[in-house]
Amino acid sequence: MPIWVTPVARYMARGLATTAGLAGVSIAVSVMLGIVLGALLVLPSRAVRLLVRWYVEIWRGLPIIVTLFFIFFVLPIIGLTFGTFVAAATGLCLWGSANVAEVVRGAAQSVSRGQADAATALGLPWAGRMRYVILPQAARRALPPLVGLVVNLTQQTSLATVIGVLDVLQASQRSIERLTLSSGATHAAPILGAVLVVYFVICLPLTLLSRRLERSL
Amino acid sequence: MVTGRTVTASGYHFEPGFVFSHLGPLGHGLLRTLAISAIGIGGASAVGVLLGALIALRIPVVRQLIRAYVEVFRNTPLLVQIFFLYFALPDAGLKLGAFTVGWLSLLLWGGAYNVENFRAGFEAVEPVYVEACRALGFSRFAAFRRVVLPLGSRIALPSVTNTLISVFKNSSFMIAIGYPELTDSAVDIVSVTFRVFEVFIAIGVVYLALVWLFSVWARLLERRLAIPGGH
Repeated sequence: MPIWVTPVARYMARGLATTAGLAGVSIAVSVMLGIVLGALLVLPSRAVRLLVRWYVEIWRGLPIIVTLFFIFFVLPIIGLTFGTFVAAATGLCLWGSANVAEVVRGAAQSVSRGQADAATALGLPWAGRMRYVILPQAARRALPPLVGLVVNLTQQTSLATVIGVLDVLQASQRSIERLTLSSGATHAAPILGAVLVVYFVICLPLTLLSRRLERSL
Repeated sequence: MVTGRTVTASGYHFEPGFVFSHLGPLGHGLLRTLAISAIGIGGASAVGVLLGALIALRIPVVRQLIRAYVEVFRNTPLLVQIFFLYFALPDAGLKLGAFTVGWLSLLLWGGAYNVENFRAGFEAVEPVYVEACRALGFSRFAAFRRVVLPLGSRIALPSVTNTLISVFKNSSFMIAIGYPELTDSAVDIVSVTFRVFEVFIAIGVVYLALVWLFSVWARLLERRLAIPGGH
């Protein structure tokens, strides 16, 4: 093995740990917040629905990079200063929760109207209908797209590089620059190839799982 | 305090009119965003229909090759793909400019998603339709072109437009390779003038407006193409 490989691999492994942390936080918060928001989207109250719809449309509609820049560069003006990791996690959570909310809403509304009517006829209040009738059925339908979103969020963590988080992609970029300066050879192909492989190995099983869940519906 | 300016706690002067004095560079950025998005969207649609059809027609070997392409591009981040095309390919003697990498990466990424969208659409068409065509003497290809393609494309349309909207939004990734599209132009202006608030709000509004416009148009298209009574 060429001599440059070991230090680069060690450096990138540290970046990968940051990527994993960022993905973990973003996925956990996005799913929890998204489920709540998605449930709010099927509430009878028009005002609440409208408010949540705006949240969903804005954070789903904006490119994540623009959201990240906004959080990182604009919010300090009003006194909200974040580190790069927190800024990246916040941006990813806004995007992720908006998408999860949309998935949950779609799944809840795909449960047939008759089910809700039958539950009402049995005297179940709104909360009971959601808890015992709608959400258990919706959860099965929401699962495949949710796993797909987890894959998507994991991939989107790479955008944190743009605001300077030292994730696996940033680590690879810095390694390439360092090697170019010290030896003249970039080694960009094997290094970036390794980053592609790492993401592929993490994401492919999840994608396959998502597809299997979809078939088993 | 000058009228028309608002001062925040940290002493930032908010000038809503600022953006208008920089419409030139922002407009050029927007044009570049639209250029790479348009090529990416057109290419990704063509790739999606063609390769999706080849998978649905179950042509051996070709099918496995397309599957491999789709899985590789769907299971790795677009940003890493862009870096690979821009920084790693020159090592192999293939040097691409930022514009080329811009549209090419969007085309390859969106294409992979669209292959999957169209394939799912084509396979959702009830097999009895194809059997009926075959019974009427249609060739396998004719049955596909006359029946599966028009019906399956309609089924695929919502997910295809979703992918195409993502292609447009993801054109902002090109800031990472310094291609002066809308986001990159905005950051450029900000780094000289420090008018972060006005500039980022402005481009945010532009992106949202275009995304909404596109999705409204897509919904209209879906309704226009819908077959009365479903299929």
